[in-house]
Formats: sequence, structure tokens, C-alpha cells
Amino acid sequence: MSTVLTQQSTAMPPCQATCPINQDVRGYLAAIATGDFRRSLELVRETNPLPTICATICAHPCESECRRGQADKPLSIRALKRVAVENGGPLAPPSRVSSRGQKVAIIGSGPAGLTAAHDLARMGHRVTVFEKDAAPGGAIMSYIPLYRLPRELVARDIDNIRALGVDIQTGKALGQDITLDELRQQGYEAVLLSLGLPVSRGLNIPGVDGEGVLLTLSFLKAVNYEGYRLPPDKTVIVIGGGNVAIDTARSALRAGAKAVKMVCLEAPDEMPAYPWEIEEAAEEGIEMNCSWGPKQIVVQDGRVTVLECMAVKSVFDEQGRFNPSFHDDRCTLIEGDIVILAIGQASDVAWLPQQGVALNERGQLAYDPATMATGKEGVFACGEVVQGPGSAVRAMSHGRQAALAVDAYLRHETVAFEEPFPLSQLDERVKSEVKGVDRQAVPLLEVSRRVTCFDHVDLGYTPETGVKEARRCLNCGNGAQLIADKCVACLTCVRVCPYGVPVVREAGEVDIRADQCQACGICVGECPANAIAFRMAGVEDIPQRLEAALAGGKKEVVFYCSYNTFYLRGADTLATVGIPCLGKIDVKHLLQAVALGAERVFLVGCADADCPYHRTLDWAHRRIDTARTVVQQAGLSGVTLHMLHLEPQQFAALPQHLSQAVQEAAHSEEQND
Amino acid sequence: MIKAKHKSIASIGDMLAPYRRVLVLGCNTCTAVCLAGGEKEVSLLASTLRLRSTINGQKKEFLEFVVQRQCEPEFLEEAKGLIQGADAVLSLACGVGMNCMAENFPDKPLLPGNDTTFLGLSTELGLFTERCVACGDCLIHLTGGLCPLARCAKRLLNGPCGGSEEGRCEISKDVPCIWQMIYDRMKALGQLDRLSEIVPTREWSMNDAQGPRSFVREDLRVQVAGGG
Repeated sequence: MSTVLTQQSTAMPPCQATCPINQDVRGYLAAIATGDFRRSLELVRETNPLPTICATICAHPCESECRRGQADKPLSIRALKRVAVENGGPLAPPSRVSSRGQKVAIIGSGPAGLTAAHDLARMGHRVTVFEKDAAPGGAIMSYIPLYRLPRELVARDIDNIRALGVDIQTGKALGQDITLDELRQQGYEAVLLSLGLPVSRGLNIPGVDGEGVLLTLSFLKAVNYEGYRLPPDKTVIVIGGGNVAIDTARSALRAGAKAVKMVCLEAPDEMPAYPWEIEEAAEEGIEMNCSWGPKQIVVQDGRVTVLECMAVKSVFDEQGRFNPSFHDDRCTLIEGDIVILAIGQASDVAWLPQQGVALNERGQLAYDPATMATGKEGVFACGEVVQGPGSAVRAMSHGRQAALAVDAYLRHETVAFEEPFPLSQLDERVKSEVKGVDRQAVPLLEVSRRVTCFDHVDLGYTPETGVKEARRCLNCGNGAQLIADKCVACLTCVRVCPYGVPVVREAGEVDIRADQCQACGICVGECPANAIAFRMAGVEDIPQRLEAALAGGKKEVVFYCSYNTFYLRGADTLATVGIPCLGKIDVKHLLQAVALGAERVFLVGCADADCPYHRTLDWAHRRIDTARTVVQQAGLSGVTLHMLHLEPQQFAALPQHLSQAVQEAAHSEEQND
Repeated sequence: MIKAKHKSIASIGDMLAPYRRVLVLGCNTCTAVCLAGGEKEVSLLASTLRLRSTINGQKKEFLEFVVQRQCEPEFLEEAKGLIQGADAVLSLACGVGMNCMAENFPDKPLLPGNDTTFLGLSTELGLFTERCVACGDCLIHLTGGLCPLARCAKRLLNGPCGGSEEGRCEISKDVPCIWQMIYDRMKALGQLDRLSEIVPTREWSMNDAQGPRSFVREDLRVQVAGGG
């Protein structure tokens, strides 16, 4: 049993374990839920050097693993990161944590290179990034469409990396403007190659060399960098079914295409693009032609007129490998004026052997994933150039590993990468008890407007919506913690938990399963042996915060549900103590308030429908009743305790609601007398 | 387990009148489990008494401590200093623990904070009910494992009486008739015929008729050196 407990108590919530850079999602969501946007951004920044970029375009694998998703819809995590980024700043730029001081050169300033630069600079190394393009950012700057990522957002993250002392030199290509030998001569002790995949894959079919056939990466780059627009009245055919193909199609529409048609080998449910990207493209009127393979591009008078396609029999063979087969006799003609190939990307490394860096038998950059080292001493590689295509956050993770590998090399040590250990899934009983709370929709720019311009489509949450969404988080693994030494095995926790989380193990030991706990806190207030501690912030420190709140002889104190902190305005003069759901209030807190001199004690909970927990307000009521009995038995006639239920927006007028509650209580007492 | 509940604050207050420095001493076994003697109860009671003392201008001092079991002298050792430093001990143990306390600290006033009620169980959260009277002569093999002495208002050994109606006892509709339950259980066990045998009068000498009860396990007794 103890092994299980140890593992689960060190395990990461699935969102965090799945995130390639292991962002403390639970932590920053809890901060948002309690209105502490600054703390949320601090937590995001602890592990994320590109918070603004990730808040905007991250593929958010965390959401697929979110445990609320097992019982309800998952948290909208990327949109919440944006709430942190937009409302949590400005923060001071990140700072160095040590000063090792060795010189490191990084070639390429995409997400992998920038992350490595950030991490190595924080470790104290002197880092220079060489970027061949005119602006840093790599694929993010070149290929991500402006409607998904306004460029001023990229600048924010890059400025913070520069603030760490990282020198980013643009317009400097390795092999052309600078060589590895020169870098060595200039005192760089390690070089990291994060070259990305800058080459569009072509297609070997007739007509592909014709005018009007474009490659996606150069098209996207021209649109993004130079504001390239298509000639008027052109129908564009985009070949490909991945995310870049969708970006291409949606960019073409905005760049002036009359119509855009996508053609891909895959059936709709096989397309590699993310479902939400496909959906947004369809909303914009982009035509999807699935399960068709290009046969030839018909060119007449030097101009593209038609793409001839064959029906796809299957995309993958029996071994699951990409190996498309076609019905030769079933063809279709798709008319269009311009064809853009968006069928994949490749690296550009053929020149590397001239720099002394070896390629493997397949012509790719050779590197050892365990050490990130290439065949040349002191030269390392990371990101898509060695990993193949993937998300920005995956590349960032690889950049982070590379930074550790380079640092270890510079210290003549070996590096080992640790795999995170995720919390297990919710069991059936617990899952069935999770209370459904609507996921807040992320508002998007109106379709009619967005197809005409490159304005940011994703409008993001307001702070209010963000708070509402964040409180849906189940706080996985961050709830009750049994203090085994103090447990008297009375089984009260087993009996009060609405989710069936505490269980009796062999030899009569009680186990409050950390991996299953929903952090409602009811058990904490009921345990007769004070044998349950709480992991989530804002619970164990209630006595200290209460003391601080009542310092100076205040006679009123408000315990309120801190999930509504954000709405709490005009209450600055009150002594307040926020608790993340009043289910975590204990009679001892109420009596402590009285002992500290409070004459009026208020418990202010949100209206039940908004509470993500079961019966917590009911327990809060019982506790205030117990406290009232104690106060009465003690003969404290001047002390009153009040319970209020308020809608979140009513928190803005808290003082008025409190005086009303006092008046009502006095009135009902008079009547009882 | 032994069940107990707090005395009223008023009666505790009366008992405390002569003492200024009082140790509220909890017990982490039976009374902790029945929510009357664990760390939380000790702290709640002490808080209440402090508040009461403050408004009465009494300036009393209430110390808090919880031992594993007050009915074992060895467990009282760790509280020895606190006990000796207090004017009186307000015990939240059961009567057994309180007696043990008093015997081990002969010059320390011992005040009961709890009323020890019965041997029973928590049938549901917040509801405690009696199951055993510790009669010293168990005969529940004859009654389907259910004790009529503890659970029949008339302590009948050959029930039910005429007051059993639809499975409820005549003293209250909230009280199930244990003899109905015994009947149902014997039926389920296929042993209904055994109920036609009359259970003879109990040997009450096993109970308290001969004064305080005790028993000896000779195999475990240690002879005092030089004795015998």
C-alpha cells in the first residue's frame, strides 16, 4: 500500500504529465479560479519560455488527457493560459538562476532553439542565437498564419528571452554567413542545431512544374512576411490534410482566393489536422475533398486548369504504414487556377557534412537521442530537424532536453531525462459522481469578418469567463492527505466523502486515494483526529490569514468562497479570508475568529448551481450551526454568525449584502423573542 | 466500541468552578471514533471553555492534549508533565479511561467531560446505537447473533412480547423490535425451529450481583519475586 501512496503522491496530474514541457496546469488554473492572475502567469512562466505563443497556438495535448474529460468536457486549458498571459502581467523578465558563463551558439530560432536559449541563459551561459531569416521565431514567424498568431505576441516572448541576455542575430545562416569552425574560434564551447523543417515536400505527378503550382512553405512565408496577395478571381486547390494544409487553405482564402478546395488522401476522420482546425476551415466555406489522391495537374496554355484525382482505396497498409492505394478506374476532376502543395515538410541538411556534421544513411542529420549529440564534438541537435514534424510545444520540450544535454556536456557530466509519472485515471464510482459543469465556449471572430482579413480569429476569454472555466478543474491529486500517524480509523472520512475516495485497506488502514480525491475538502472539517491535511493552496494557511485579517481590532470577518475573488470589489475595508470552496471551512476557524475578537462572522458561499462540488454548502451550514451552538453555550450574546449565498456577480456589492444579512437576522430574532 | 458523548457546557462549567488551569485530555481510541474525544473535540471544547471563561472574566487557562488511550497507564506517561502542571484534568475518555487516570494520578482532580453511554456502533454517520450490555454470559448463538438483552426494551430472552407491531417496538416507532429481527434472521438461517426451545433463566451471578467484576488469566500473570 505504501508503494502506491508514494507513487501517487509524487505523480503528476495527467495534463501536466502529458504536456511536453510539464506545465503546472493545475497550479495556474487554481490561481485563475481564485482570481490571482499574476500568480497564474508566474506559474506558467516557471516552465514555459514562450507563454504568449503557447497561449495562442499550442496544440494543447493536455486537454485530451484532462480527467474532467472522462466524465464531462475537458478544461479549456489553452484559452485559460491566455487569460493568465493577458491578465497576469506585466511581470519582471525572467532572471538567471546561476552564472556558469560558457559560450553556446544556437542555430535556428524556432521554438526548440528559443527554449534551449532561454534555459541555457537561465543556467548562466552566454548564449547567441543565429537565425537565417530576418526575424526570430522560426516556423512560428514564417509559417503560422497571422490570423492564428498576431506577430506582436511573438515579440513579447522573444523580448523576455533577450532580457536574459540572449543575443539573437538575424540574417545569419550557418554555412553561408558563419561556419562551425569560426564559432569554435570565437570561443563557443557548444553549438546546438535547431534547424527545423524548412523545405516543402513536392509531388511527383504530371503538371507539377507548371505555373500556378506553389509549395506551401514559400506561400505561407510570402503571405506572412510580405503581405503577398493572390491575383483576383482565382480558385485555389490545396493538396494535403494536415494542419499546415488547413493553414494554407485558410490563408489562401484571406489572401484573396475566390474559392478554396482542399484535397486529401484521408477520409474525414483520418485527416491528421486537428478537428477544431477542420471545423473552423469548413465554417469559412473551404471545400473538403477527402479520400482523393492527385493523379495529374492539367495545365493548358501554361496555366493550371484542373486537378485530376483518383479515389483512394486505403491510406495505410496492413502494418499501419502510410502506403496509399487507389481505385485506378474512379477519377474526378477538380477545377482550379492555383495548386498549393501542403503534403509535408523536410529538413535542409545536405550541406551539413561540409561543416563536419555527419548525416545518417537516409540523408538525415545523425544524432543520439540519449545525449542529443551529433557526430561532431560539441555539436548538438534538437527540434523538428531530428524529431520530424510535430507541435511547437513538442519542439520546445526537445529544446529543453538539449539545454540540459549541452549544460551537462559543458560540465563534463552525463545527462539523463526523466519520464513523468501520471496520476491514474478516475475510477468508475468517482467518475460517476463528478458534477457536470458547462465548458465555457471560446468566442471566435465572426465568420463573415474573418475570411476577409488576417485578424486574430480566437478572441479569448474575458477574465470573468476565465474564472468560471478554471473552477471546473478537478484539482487532480491536490486534495486531502491522510496523516497516517494521527488517523484513528474512525471511518468518518469514508462516510462523508461524496465521491467514495477514502477506502479501507488491508489491516484496517484507511487510504484517502490521492489520485481519486476531488479536493472538495468536506473530510478535512469532519475528521475528529485532525488527521487530514490539504494539499491545495489556501486551506492550511487559513488560521494565519484569519489572524492577519483581524489584526487591528476589526470586529467583522468574512469567510468567502475564493472562487469568486475576482468579483470581490468594494470590499477592501472588510476583513476577508478566501477559501477555495466553503466545504473546507472548519468550526475551529469560526471559533478562532470569535476568539480573536470578531463579533460578526460571515460565511459567504456561491449559489449552489455554480459550485463544482457536491453538498459543500450543506456542510458549511452544519459547521456554522455548530459554531453558533458553541457561542451560545459560551454565553457570548454579542456575537452573531451569518451564512449568505450569493451569485458571483453579487460579490461586487458584498458590504451591502452583509448589512442586509445582519438586519434580517436581527429582525428574525426579534420575531422569535 | 465504547460510546460516549459530551456533557453539557453548563455542567462542565460548574465542575470547573474551583480550578484555574485545566487540562482537556482527549483519548484517541473509542471516544475519538465516536467523535467525543479526539484532537478536534478536545480543541473545540477547549475553545468553547476559553470563550466562556473570557466573558466571565475568569482568566482560566485550558491546555489541550490527546493520548492514545487513557485506559493504559503507559499511554498516560507522555501527558504526565501536563497533568501534573494542571489544577484539574477534564477527561474526554470513557469512564474506563477516566478511572485509570484517577488511579494513576491520585492527587489530581479528575472531571468527566463525557458521559459514557454504551457499547455500540455507529449505524450511520452521526447515529450511535447500543449493541451489547457486557452481561458476561453471551447467548446470542440462540438468537441469531442479535442480542435481546441489549436491544429489547424488556430484555426478554423468549420474545417477542405483545408490543411488537409491524417489526417496531411499542416504546417507539423508531425502535425496531429486536425479536422480529431475530425471527427474520433465524428464518433466513433455516433455524426457526430453535426458537421453539425456551431459553432458561440467565445466570445473573455472572453479572454485577457480586460486586465489581474481574477475571484472571493465570497463564499471563507474573509472580512477584519472593511471593507465592
